[in-house]
This record gives sequence, structure tokens and C-alpha cells, in this order.
Amino acid sequence: MSDIFTLFSRLKTGIILWMSDIKDDFILNFIVQDRWKFIVSGLKNTLIITFFALILGVVLGIIVAIIRSSYDKTYGDMRKGLKKTLFAIINGICNVYLTVIRGTPVTVQLMIMYYIIFASSRNSLMVAIIAFGINSGAYVAEIVRSGIMSIDEGQFEAGRSLGFNYKSSMWYIIIPQAFKNVLPALANEFIVLLKETSVAGYVTIRDLTMGGNIIRAATYSAFMPLIAVAIIYLVMVMFFTWLVGLLERRLRKSER
Amino acid sequence: MKDNFLIETRDVKKYYKDGTIKALDGVSLSIKQGEVIVIIGPSGSGKSTFLRSLNLLEVPTSGTIMLEGVDITDPKTDINLHRQKMGMVFQHFNLFPHMTILKNLTIAPMKLHKESREKAEKKAMELLERVGLADRAKAYPAQLSGGQKQRVAIVRALAMNPEVMLFDEPTSALDPEMVGEVLEVMKELAKNGMTMVVVTHEMGFAKEVADRVIFMDEGKIMETGTPEEIFDNPKNERTKAFLSKVL
Repeated sequence: MSDIFTLFSRLKTGIILWMSDIKDDFILNFIVQDRWKFIVSGLKNTLIITFFALILGVVLGIIVAIIRSSYDKTYGDMRKGLKKTLFAIINGICNVYLTVIRGTPVTVQLMIMYYIIFASSRNSLMVAIIAFGINSGAYVAEIVRSGIMSIDEGQFEAGRSLGFNYKSSMWYIIIPQAFKNVLPALANEFIVLLKETSVAGYVTIRDLTMGGNIIRAATYSAFMPLIAVAIIYLVMVMFFTWLVGLLERRLRKSER
Repeated sequence: MKDNFLIETRDVKKYYKDGTIKALDGVSLSIKQGEVIVIIGPSGSGKSTFLRSLNLLEVPTSGTIMLEGVDITDPKTDINLHRQKMGMVFQHFNLFPHMTILKNLTIAPMKLHKESREKAEKKAMELLERVGLADRAKAYPAQLSGGQKQRVAIVRALAMNPEVMLFDEPTSALDPEMVGEVLEVMKELAKNGMTMVVVTHEMGFAKEVADRVIFMDEGKIMETGTPEEIFDNPKNERTKAFLSKVL
């Protein structure tokens, strides 16, 4: 009986000690010298990079996807001439882009951008947006292309038979359906993008991950800053997943 | 424009794989305003390919297709403009699944004819009324039966006020009990003077509605004539063989 009692009291003391450790740890890492500001400003940078890279990636991705799928669909039927040659060249450029971007690590691409291509630029945030946007664009392109290819050819023919030109058929008929089909894959790509920006520290950007690192370097305690950073990423991804779920349900209205 | 032919095709050929496959091997046909032409023939005879070449969904290898005296096979012709005059109904309906029925009917008139929403919707509702589907205007295609979808597809094409309607096996993908309702709409159209080119296996429809029946095989027109001539007194051996199988 008394054994159990001692066990309990030891456990209790242990928990209390651990709790106060946590509290001290928390204060040390976030309150002292206003260190929480590193996290907040880091989060701000992460969000800026992700948001603008996302827009750049989607625009780039859709353009490349339309070029590539149009090439596959129409090149065989095109008449010989300058237009056809030009189309082949543009399609070739797109293929090189996809191969290079998907074939090299994003961290290396980011450093090439920062230290070589934009070596004279001091705006590292802008460089990061461009690097991540170009990177994401390659993946978005293949996702969107698979969506376009998944739409029945009859949809396209129905559009053309009504008198829509190629572009309008794509815009009014194919793309909206393709977008709905690839929304889960796109959401996944955006989640990857958000988390991938954590390597921005390689080019001296103080993003969320870097913010945690700065605190860790100052306090020599790893647990608090790293777990805090992880939780923030997790919450953002969960929120985004929830948002996409809402959108998916709205778009699925027409299938009922 | 001699004899006011609406559509005139001359020696239309469609070859695949450098001519080893001849889907169309020289098809010449003149279609008058208001005429109902039914094309029959075994599968692989080129009848669908011919129909689809009329609005250039299939681009012919050679030959010319004239619509109202304009050569639409000429690359300088704006084919999109001419397609607006040719409504097409497909075997698999091809309604736009992400739009309501009403939107399916209004999108082309609004975007291509620049009609106002009110005008386009008013006309769409009249058309839906005609085929008995006005109450489904707010529904999506997935909520309709096959026969209903095909009726919507017909009025979607009609919403553009076409000169001619092309039907590519419009009842082949339907459950048997739904064939009648679609044929009914087509008969109604023919009665109102619409120029129609219909590829079908519905011999009853051909007999009843066609002004001219065309039998195609091996990418060629084998025989052409009134329904009586073709069905009661076929001259071509292939026509006889085909009809003996399907009638």
C-alpha cells in the first residue's frame, strides 16, 4: 500500500518538475529577449514565399500544361510552316524545363538562383519566390496536363462543333473539368511547396525554420523551438487541407 | 450557287497511315436546303467519318466541302464561324457535365453570338419546353437519363440557330425504351423543315423521315435513293446483303 503511495507521490513530483522545466524552457526560448519575434517574422516570410511562389507556379504550370497537351493533340494535324516549327521549338523548351527542374533538388536550384543567376540581387525573398515558383510550376504543369488528358475527347469536339475555337474550348469546357479532377493532386503539390520553403535558410532568408534555428542557437535548447516550428507547419497544412476539402465539395455539386 | 445546295462535297477522301487505310474514298454528295438525309451502312463503312468531316472534326485528306458556296476545307476559311451554322449531336451526348442544363444551352449563344443572358435564357427555356425538359433547367447532366441527355444535346445545338443539323448515331448509346423519345424530337425537327444529315441504325426512322437514304460501304457511297428505292428495291448487291442482315 505504502509502496503505491510513494510511487504516486514520486510521479506527482516528477510531473510538477517536468511541467516547471517546460515552463522555464518556454520562457527561455520565446519570452526572454522577445525571441518569439523570430518565429513570427519567420512565419511571415514563409507565407510570403509560399503565396507568391504558388501563384507563379500555377500560372507557369497551366501555360506549360496547355502548350504540352495542345502539342500532343494538334501537332500531327498541323500544316507545315513557320507556325508548326515554332510550336515544336516551344514544346521542346517546355520539355527541357520539366526535365531540368524535376531532375534536380530544389535546394540546389535555389542556390543556383541566388548565387549565380541573381548573384547581383540582394532581394533574397524575391529570388526565393522565383526559385520556388519555377520549381512548383514544373510539377503543377504535369498535374494539370494529366487533368486535361483525362477529359473525354468528346467534350472538346462538342465545344468545337458549337463553334468555339481551340482556346475557348479549353477555357470554358476542358480546364474547369480538368481543374476539378486534379484538385487533390494540386493541393498535395501546394502542401509540398509550403514545407519545401523550409530550405530558404540556405540563401540567408529568415523563414519559419530559420527562425527556430536562430532561437536554438541562442538558447542551446532544441526541443522548444523545433517542436514549435513543427506544430506551426502542421497547423497550416491542416488548415489548408480543410480549405481544399470545402472547395472540393463545392465543385462536386454537379455530380450529385 | 446553283440549285441552292446547302452543302456540297466533292471527292472527299480521308486516308490514314499514308493511304493504307481509306476511311473515305471519294465521297461526293449535294444536300439541298430542308432535305433530310439518312446515311446507313455497316460499321467501318466511313459513314461517321463522312459526317464528322462535314464540320471538319475530321479534316479530309483531299476533296472539297462547300457550305453555302464557301469552301470550308480552305485553310483561309474561318471554320469556327461555319461550325456555328452546323449543329452536331453525338452518340455519347457530350453535354458539359460541370454546367447546368440551362448553362449548356446558353454558353455558346452568349459567348459566340454575344447574346444577352436574358435573351439566351429565354430562348433556351423555349427550346427545353419544346422537348419537355423545362423543369430540368437547373439540373446537371449527371442527373438526367440518357434520353433526356440526348434531347438536351439536340436543343443545345439548336440554340445556335444552325442551318443544318448533323446526327452521329444519336440513339446508339441509349437504352431501348429511350430511343423513341429522341427520334420523336428528330421527326419534329424534320417536319419543321430543318436540313438534317443523320447517321443511324434506326431503319424505321430512315423509312419514315428520310428524303434520301444513302448506303455507304468501304468509304464510298454505294447506293443512294428514296427510302422506297433503297429499302424495297435495292439495286446494289452490298445494299441487299446489308439490308437482309438488319431488316
